[in-house]
Parts: sequence; C-alpha cells; structure tokens
Amino acid sequence: MATRGTNRARLLLVSLLVTSLLLITLDLRGANVVTSIRSASQTILAPFQSAGSAILSPIGNFFSDLFNLGNTRERIEELEKANEELKSQVILNEKLSAELAQLKGVLDLAGKARFKTVSARVISKGGTSTFSETIVLDQGSRAGIRPDMTVISQAGLVGVVRSTSANTSVVLLMNDPSFRIGVRVAGSQDMGVLTGQGRNIYSLQMLSASADISVGDVLLSRGSSGDTPFVPGVPVGKIIFVDNAAGQLTKQARVEAFVDLNSLAVVSVVLDSKGSNPGDSLVPAAPRPAPTVTVYVTPSPTKNE
Amino acid sequence: MSLNRIPLVSGLLLIAFIFQEAFVNRVHFFLGGFAFYLAFSIAWILREDRSTAVLVGFISGLIADLSPTLEAPFGLWMLVMTGFAFILTTYVRGSLDPNLSPLTLSVVTAAGSAVALILFVVIGAILGEDVASISALIREIIGNAIWSFVLSPLFIPLALKMHKLSLTARER
Repeated sequence: MATRGTNRARLLLVSLLVTSLLLITLDLRGANVVTSIRSASQTILAPFQSAGSAILSPIGNFFSDLFNLGNTRERIEELEKANEELKSQVILNEKLSAELAQLKGVLDLAGKARFKTVSARVISKGGTSTFSETIVLDQGSRAGIRPDMTVISQAGLVGVVRSTSANTSVVLLMNDPSFRIGVRVAGSQDMGVLTGQGRNIYSLQMLSASADISVGDVLLSRGSSGDTPFVPGVPVGKIIFVDNAAGQLTKQARVEAFVDLNSLAVVSVVLDSKGSNPGDSLVPAAPRPAPTVTVYVTPSPTKNE
Repeated sequence: MSLNRIPLVSGLLLIAFIFQEAFVNRVHFFLGGFAFYLAFSIAWILREDRSTAVLVGFISGLIADLSPTLEAPFGLWMLVMTGFAFILTTYVRGSLDPNLSPLTLSVVTAAGSAVALILFVVIGAILGEDVASISALIREIIGNAIWSFVLSPLFIPLALKMHKLSLTARER
C-alpha cells in the first residue's frame, strides 16, 4: 500500500517536473503566451498594489505615533487625539512634500535635457523571492509608456521599462545583476560598461586600455541607437574606486550611483528625447564647501590688572 | 488530495500571493527582505502528505511565477517548489515528530525558505540567469530566513488555519 502511494507520488513528481521544464523551455524560446500571462497578472495586481501603497505609507508612522499616547484625563485624550490627527496630517504633508520635491527635481532634470517625459509614482517593488531588482509604476501603456524606455529620477538614471500593462509598468532597476549600460566619463568621454551587482555599488569595465579614470569622475549614459533603451547624457554615478591591478586588459572600477534606489517615490519615464543630446550639461554640481568661519577671541582685562 | 480541493487551495495561495505583492513588498526590511508567500507555502506543504505536497508545491510555484516583477523564466519557481516539496515531505518531515511543535515548524519553515531560495538561484544560474554578487545573495537569503523565523508566530497559524479550511470533511 505504502509502495503504491510512493509510486503515485513519484509519478506525479515526474509529470509536474516535466511540465515545469516544458514551460521554462517555452519561456526561454520567447513564447508570447508567457509574456501575456505576466502582463495580465500585472493588470490584476495593479489595484491591490495601489491600495497597498496608499494604505501603508501613512499608517506605519501613525501607529508608531499612537504607541506613545498616554491614557490620562479625558481632556488630554481629546487633545492628544487631535494632536495625532494633526501629526498624521503633517506626516502626510511631509510625504507629499517629499514626493513634490522629487517630482520637481526630475522635471528640472528632464527640462534641462529637453526630454519629453511622463511622471509616475512607485506603487510596489520586486519581492525577495524574485531575486530581481524591480519597481512597479502607476502609469502604463495608456500614458504612452513602452518597454525599453529610460526611467530617471531627480538625481539621474533609475533603470529601464521592462514591461507594461494598461495602467502600470515594471521597471528593471539599474542595480539588477542583468542590468548593463554603456557609459562615458564626463569630460574625457572615455567609454565603458556599467553592470548592476544587486546592491548600491556597481562594476565598471572600461572599453579602452588607455582610458584615464580616477576617483570622483562622473559617469553619464552613452545613449543607445534610436534612444532605446537609453537616452544619452543622463547622470549615472561617480567612480569611488579604481582597480589598478596589473595584468588587466582594460581598467575596472567601482561606482556609486547618484540615485538612492531605496527611497524612490516619484520617477519619470523618458517618452522622447527629441533627438537632443545634453552632453555634459546634466553633470550634478559639486557640493560647495562651506565657508570657513574664523572667530577671534580677545581676553577681557581682569580686575587685578 | 481530492480534486475539488484544488480550486480552494489555489484560491487561498493566490490570496497570500496578492498580500505579498501588494503589502509585504512595500515594507522596507532592515536586513534583506521577507518572502512571505514562500514561507507561507512551505508551512502549508509541511502539513500535507507526499502526493498532495508535490501538487501544492506545483500550484504555489505556478502562482509565484505569475509575479510581474520576476525576471526568471516562467516555470522556474514551479520546478523548484515541486521538487522541494517532494524533498521536504520525503526526507525532512519523515525524520521529525509527526506532531510538529510550533518551534520545529518555525525552524523548518525558515530553513526551508532559505534552501528554496538557494535552489532557485542555483537552477536559475544553470539556466543562464544573471546572478547578483555573493554578498548580496547571502544578505537576501539570511535576511529572509531571519524574518521568516521572527515573523513565524504571525503567518504560520494563518497558514495552518487556511490549510485546515481547505480540507474536506473526510480529510479532517
């Protein structure tokens, strides 16, 4: 009896594994059915993700604030309640202000480069079990977004649109291991390829052995043919370490991105670069050193003198 | 497993998946992340007999593959979860006390989700998927195991309740 059960389980296992392998083969061969299934699932998930995004941001702070409330007199409770309402309103306003600042920043960047963009809110991100660095935007093909469009934020490059549904788009972030972008060094114009590493540090491989790079050099996107997937001139990051080890064919370096991918709230998708190449004009301004303040202290005369 | 259980099991797993995609993924965890759906599925699988576990693993993998943010080929999670469910019920659960204590269940779920993620990465790499740096992978996998263990008192009772709900009167 037990053997029959074991055989049944093994038969089921083999048939299901074969089914899985068949689906993997279909996907790797580029069957459209699989893409359509994921696109449909995104369409279904979009309202839940929007709701999750709307619910989670104010409530997390609201509960932590409520935790500190005291239970004393009725009047105090009323005042505290009113205070909490005002606090959550302030938190909401702060969140909106932060989003507005990000939106202003990204519009400034796009305006300077004369890109035609559409702005979108980040409503979800890829889970741990996907092992892919992705975010979901609340704008999709209805807003003119198509796969392989560049996504930017106020500080620079964010990633590239991977897929779209009517009202949402999935963006592959630049720190994903499968992400590669051609970059050039601002000023010297030396070219290289930047690769995501799954964290905040990126790997840069220069194309020429004679490329002269140093710590602090700014990298800009080189641009792709027809501006897809990458428009030119978008700030990508700056070099933080140059690997000068002997025996390498080309120089390698480590790069820190300008954009903090963990705090994205609003981004812009470049719909059309209008053929413009901003050159080095989008290089972020170096922080100005604070003026040194010198204080002269003159001792006051004591009474004994 | 009776065939009329399949729609209910699929529906309940789908709810867990939507919860992860809409809510859990929005939470910024201190270390790595928390694959709620994976841990939930493993806790469920541990309560099933071998044949049913394989089928539940397949269904949960199929739903995980629907994730629009997934870069891996469609079917990879199916393959991993089907095989892992078989391994889990054949080699792991057989050596444990039949009445799993809450602590054992938590430990096995946390360790199981880490092993499932490792299998996913390894098979994905064999199929030609790009893999993140080792440090990033270790952070994600260990972080997920820790969160799965820490949050197990919240989601394991839920998984067990849902599993019980999906049983037919005769199976109960």
